[in-house]
Order: sequence, then C-alpha cells, then structure tokens
Amino acid sequence: MSSQPSAPLIHPPTLSGILRALLQADLTVQLRNGRALLLTFFPPLAVLYGLFTAKRGAQLGSPIVKVSLALTLGIALIAILGYTASVARDRELGVFQRLRVTPAPTWTIMVSQLAVQILSMLVMTVVVLIAAAVVEKVTLDPAAYLLTLAMVIVSSAVFLGVGQALVGLIKSVDTVNAVGRLSFLPLVALGLFGHSDIFGTTFETISRWSPGGAVATLLSGAMNPAAWSAETWWAFMASVVYSVVFAGVGIRWFQWSTR
Amino acid sequence: MPTRVTVTGPTAAPSLALQVEDLHVSYGPKRAVDGVSLDINEGEIFGLLGPNGAGKTSTLSAIEGLLRPDSGSIRIGDVDAGTNPTAAKARMGVQLQSTSFQSDLTIREIVRLYAGLYGVSLSRGEIGDLLADVHLGEEAAKRFSQLSGGQQKRVSLLIATIHDPPLVLLDEPTAGLDPQARRQLWDRIERLRDAGRSILLTTHSMEEAQAVCHRVAIIDRGKLLTVDTPAGLIEKHKDDPRVRKVAHGQVTLEDVFIGLTGSELRD
Repeated sequence: MSSQPSAPLIHPPTLSGILRALLQADLTVQLRNGRALLLTFFPPLAVLYGLFTAKRGAQLGSPIVKVSLALTLGIALIAILGYTASVARDRELGVFQRLRVTPAPTWTIMVSQLAVQILSMLVMTVVVLIAAAVVEKVTLDPAAYLLTLAMVIVSSAVFLGVGQALVGLIKSVDTVNAVGRLSFLPLVALGLFGHSDIFGTTFETISRWSPGGAVATLLSGAMNPAAWSAETWWAFMASVVYSVVFAGVGIRWFQWSTR
Repeated sequence: MPTRVTVTGPTAAPSLALQVEDLHVSYGPKRAVDGVSLDINEGEIFGLLGPNGAGKTSTLSAIEGLLRPDSGSIRIGDVDAGTNPTAAKARMGVQLQSTSFQSDLTIREIVRLYAGLYGVSLSRGEIGDLLADVHLGEEAAKRFSQLSGGQQKRVSLLIATIHDPPLVLLDEPTAGLDPQARRQLWDRIERLRDAGRSILLTTHSMEEAQAVCHRVAIIDRGKLLTVDTPAGLIEKHKDDPRVRKVAHGQVTLEDVFIGLTGSELRD
C-alpha cells in the first residue's frame, strides 16, 4: 500500500497466470494431505492382493481383469470420497465464494481441482501397476501402459462426474460424505462381478454395464490392446455417456455457496 | 422511485469509482434489492447502513459479481461490470462478510495464490514484507484458522488490496472485533483512502460510519432511504417525528437509523 495518492495500474491477469496460481495452491493442498492420499492407495492394493490370493479369485477373471478392478476401485475412491469431500468442505467454508470475486473465471476453479484429482489417480495407477508387476508378475507392453494411463483419464471422468453430481445435488458436507460411501455399492462394488458368472448371467450383464463394470472393462481392454474388442468400444462409449450424464447433473445443479 | 445520490464527495470535481443504477436483485419471489442507485466518488469512503436482511450484502454481492441482478447497471470506473465482469473484478478488491481461505494453505501461500489470481507476481521476500506491514510477519507459516479474528480480518484486507485496486468493497469489516482491533482496521481503511482508493463498506456500527465514512446511505427492505454525510443525515432528519420519537435528547445517527428503519427486531 502506497502512502501517496496515485492512480493504480491495473494489469489484467492472464489465463495461464490464473491457472498456474490455482494449480499451485490445489497441488499444495493435495500434497499436504499426503496421509489421506496414501490411504486411498491402500484399498486398491489390498483388493489386488485379495483377488490374486482368494480361493475363487480365478472366477473373477484374468489377471489383467483383476488389476483393472483394483484400478477401478482406486479411481472411484479418489473421485467419490476425496474429490467430493474436498469440494463440499471448501464450499461450506466459503472458499469458492472468495475465489469467485477474483478475476478467475469460474471454470478455472473447477478445472484446477479436477486436474489435481486426475494427477492423483495417475499416480495411484502407477503404484498399482508397479505392485502388479513386482508382486503378481503382471507386466504390459509400453504401448499398453500408455493406453492404460489414457483410459484412466477417461475413467476418472466417470467417477469425477459422479462426485460432481453428488456435490451438485447435496449441499451438506456430512450428507455428501455419507451418500458418497453408500453410492460405492451400486457404482463400484457391483462392477467387480462384471467378468464373473458367480451370481448368474443376468447379474453379470447388469454388473458389466454398471459404471464400475464399464470402467473395469475399458481398463482391462487398455491393458491388453491386442484384445481390444467391440465390447471394449461399448465400454468406452458407456463411460463417455456416464461422464456426460453425471457431470451434466452436477454442473446443472451445482451451487457455489451453501448459504 | 429509487433514491438518487447527489451529495458531493470529498474532491472538488470527482470522477466516479462506482456507479450503480436502478439495481434489482431477487431470491425467487423475495425482492432483496429494489431499485438501488448510488455513486461513489474517487477517494471516498461510502457506508451502507441497514438492519439485518435490509439488502446490504445483496447489493454488495451484485457489485462483486456473486449475484446476477434482475436488472440495473453497475460500472466500476469506466468498466461495465455486466458486459465485462473480469475487467470489473480486476478493478476491485473484496472483503467478504464471512471469508475463509483454503484451510490447508499457510498465510504466505494464500497471499501468493491471490496475488497470482490478480496477476501480481510477488517474491517470498515481498510477501513477507506485506505480512510484516500488517503485523503478521510471525504468522506467515500459520493456517488461516489458527489466527485470531483481528488477524483474519487483516489478512482479508491485505488480500483485498493486494493488486492495489481503485475500489475496495468491505462487508462488515469490523464485525466481531475488539475495540483495539477495530481501531487498527479503521486506520488501515483511512490509509487506503489517503492513497486515493474508494471504499464501499457495510456496517451495523453507527460509530464506525461516523468515524470513517464521508457519506452514509441507510438501506431497508431493499431500498435506499436516505444518503448524506453523517452530520448531514442528522441535520436532515432531526425533526422527523419518527426520529424524535426514538431520540433521547440530542439526535444521533443511531436515532436517525432507528427512526427510519423501525424498532422491531430483524432476523
């Protein structure tokens, strides 16, 4: 603050400057919550271990399918529990309202938050793929690794869309957290049986085309590009449709403030 | 009919820092702001007084771009906030009534974030100097929630003025502060005025309005009831029967306020 009256010079911020500032802040927050982030890595690793060691694990599908199921769980955890909790808490605190009175376009606020979540999912994917290679000897071609990372980004849109829908439709932080946990059953757990007829073919079909099942099919297709089939394309299409529908609901009804 | 502000501010030939014309804001069927018009001159501190739910924060929110008005126009200097909201936001600094910042960031990181959002590049040393200037040099590594109420308000004011905006909007800036912290904040507001900035603040405090504002408007049920200097308001309304009825001896600004807005409790 200067002590002499002067006409202030206004330099409008650039979009890249705004995004850099937001990303730096959101990344700092994510890293500061490192323990919570590590905890989201644990369930997919535990599921991976469980699927490979379970007596009837072979009935759930091939080793690649099991890795894709673990990845699906990890992506869903970060999106539905991590992202929704973060957005609901910041909204409750009034953080978004404070950001909205700056020149930052509102979409940059969300893009920054989403980008950090996707980065977390990619890191989790690398951890799970390393564990699968080291412990379970499931290794992929370099192209398959790249395709898997790309499809993880597509898959993230499904569950981040679900998360957006949750925080769009529900204002209370506690209710968002509770419904997020409950939604795991139809959205993710159901998908675990998309490649198994343990509960019959009808259940298998429903499971396969649930959000979790579609993502698991897509990821297992990406991990084995030689076996990429029409069904994988349908899973890709289903994932895109789920993303658009859930994100559409979340954006349509999202409110920046709880007041 | 909307009340038109015509009283001159502190400068001889003032140009306008803020111009609000016939502003209307509704929440569903409830009309929160009903035809408010006001002008704020450069270098002027303008106070908006009103009971709870009078429309103070809604008026401010519309100017800040948080609410889309039903109708009316808002100009920040020569920028139309309706057609160019980003440029308008770059020209104003805002302190919200209940502000919170990212709970996992330190004060230093929060300052760096908001400086970046306004296109201001600050080194670590410059951030330290700014925090030292508001007596928060020692708190740079703390989280916002770890600060006292007065310290939080100082951080909020620092961030509202980090880009040296010509117009600063303060929503109840001293609410909940002890007298020492309140006086300190008044000093900072006056320093901003001395630096040529224009300030629009809302307050419940008659003392604050009289201490720092060049002009004061009283708003109730979404309408501006009257506008003048604090002394001018008393002079203008001292013989109003509604004011005489509530006055105990010499008429004060609070008597004018109560007389014009009524004595009933507001939620």
